[in-house]
Amino acid sequence: MSALLSLEGVGKSYLRGPHRVRVLKDVTLDVGAGQLVAVWGKRGVGKTTLLKIAARLERPDQGVVRFEGVDMAGLREAEHTRLMLERIGWVRRAGPKSELRMLDYVALPRLAARGRREAYSLAREALERVGMSECAGQHWSSLSDGERSLISIAHGIVRAPKLLLVDDPTANLDVIEREQVTQLLRSLADDEGMALLITVPDMPAVMRAHHIASLSGGRLALPPSEAPEPPLSPEEAQPGKVIQLRGREQSA
Amino acid sequence: MSAKIAVLGLVIEEPSPAHRLTAKLRQRLSSAEFVDSNVYSALARLEREGLVRSCAEASYEATDEGVRHFEQWLFASSSAPPLRDELHMKIALCQPQNLPRMIELVYGQELFCLSRVQELKKSFERIRSPDPSRWSGLVMVMIRDAELAFWEARLGWLQGVRESLENMAVSHQDASRAERAAKLDGSLRDASPGEPLAGTGLGAGVQYASRRHREA
Repeated sequence: MSALLSLEGVGKSYLRGPHRVRVLKDVTLDVGAGQLVAVWGKRGVGKTTLLKIAARLERPDQGVVRFEGVDMAGLREAEHTRLMLERIGWVRRAGPKSELRMLDYVALPRLAARGRREAYSLAREALERVGMSECAGQHWSSLSDGERSLISIAHGIVRAPKLLLVDDPTANLDVIEREQVTQLLRSLADDEGMALLITVPDMPAVMRAHHIASLSGGRLALPPSEAPEPPLSPEEAQPGKVIQLRGREQSA
Repeated sequence: MSAKIAVLGLVIEEPSPAHRLTAKLRQRLSSAEFVDSNVYSALARLEREGLVRSCAEASYEATDEGVRHFEQWLFASSSAPPLRDELHMKIALCQPQNLPRMIELVYGQELFCLSRVQELKKSFERIRSPDPSRWSGLVMVMIRDAELAFWEARLGWLQGVRESLENMAVSHQDASRAERAAKLDGSLRDASPGEPLAGTGLGAGVQYASRRHREA
C-alpha cells in the first residue's frame, strides 16, 4: 500500500504588497487510505493554500504533490477535472450562490457523469449519510453553520471520493455540532476507508483525527513521535513499507 | 487543586475502592498529573478528618461532613493560576546573539505542546466516546477542552514568538552584513548603521514589524 496523497518538499509564496510571503516552506506530508489527518493553525497561516495545493487548485512553487502515486503537476486539465469530480472531494463551507435546494446542490457533482436520476439518488444517500435528509428541500441561506458544514460534506462525499479535503469544517460551531462533524469525518475514514486531510482553527477539533500537525510560519510541525524517521537501511526499506505521516522540520 | 478535594468529589459521586479512584482520577483529571500515591494519602487524610469512612468491599463513602466540606469548596470562588514561566523570562532577557538558540527553545516547546495534545487525544480514544448531548459526556468534553484551550493558547503564543524571533534574526543578519560591508569600503562613519538590536531584547521586534515575513 502506498500513501494516497503525498506532498514532498512543497513550498509556496505570495506577493503581499512589496514583500514576498512564504506561506509554505518545505512541507512534507503523506495521508493514507482510512486516515484522518488534521492540520491545526491560526487564521491566515496557509491552511487553505495547503489544501488547494493538495487538490492542485493552486500550483506549488517547489515540491511535488502525488495522488495515488501520480504527480498532479503532469495532469492535463480534463484529467484534473475528472479527478475532482470522481476521486477527490473538496469541501469548504461556501455553498451555492444561487437559490438551489440542498438536494440539487449535493447532486451537482454527479449530474454530468451519472445523469439526473442516479445523481439525485446518490445525493439523497449522501444527505442521509451526514444526517441531513430533512434539509433536502431547504436553501443554503436558511441553514445554521452546523447544517452548512454537514451539507458541504455531503456535497464532497456524493462522488464517493478516495480523498476528502475539508477546509475549516468546525469554524463557528458549538461543542455539540463540532463533535457531530468531527465524529462524522472520523467515521468516513474508519468505515469507508477514505483518506481525509482537514484544516481546523480550534484544537478540540483535532481530537478525532488519527494524526495531528500544526502549521505556522510556513512550517508544518508534527508531534515528535510522528516526526520524520532517520533514513531507512536497505534491510528496512522493503517494498510496501509506508510511513503514513511525515514532516520535515528544522528549527531556524 | 489538591488530590484530597478531587478524591472527596469522586467518593461523593460514587462510593469506590482506592484502586478505582486512582483510575477515575487519571481519566477525569489527567492534566493535574496526580500519581497513585496521592490518592492513598488523600484517603488516609480524609478518613482522619472524618470526611470519608470505610464501607463495604474496601470502598470509601463520604460522610455528611465530607459532603458539606466539598460543597463549601465547590461554591467558593476560584483563584486565577499564577503565571510563572521560565521561558517568558528567557525571552524577556535574551539578546540578539541568543536568537538562534531561543528559536530552538521555542520550537522545542511547540513540539512539547503538540505532544501533550496528542497524548490527550490518545487517552481520550481509549475510553468510550462521550456523547456531548448528555450531561456526563458534555462535562468530559468541557474538561478536555479546558486543557486543550490551554495548549492551544500556548502553542499560538509560541508560534507568534518564534516567527518574531525568526524575523528579528533575519533583520539582525541584514544589519550585521550591512555593517561589515560598510567597514570594508571604509565608509562606516557615513553609513551610520548604528546598533539597532543591541541590548534591546524582544521589544525590538516592534521596530522590525514592517519587515515581518520578508525573505532573507
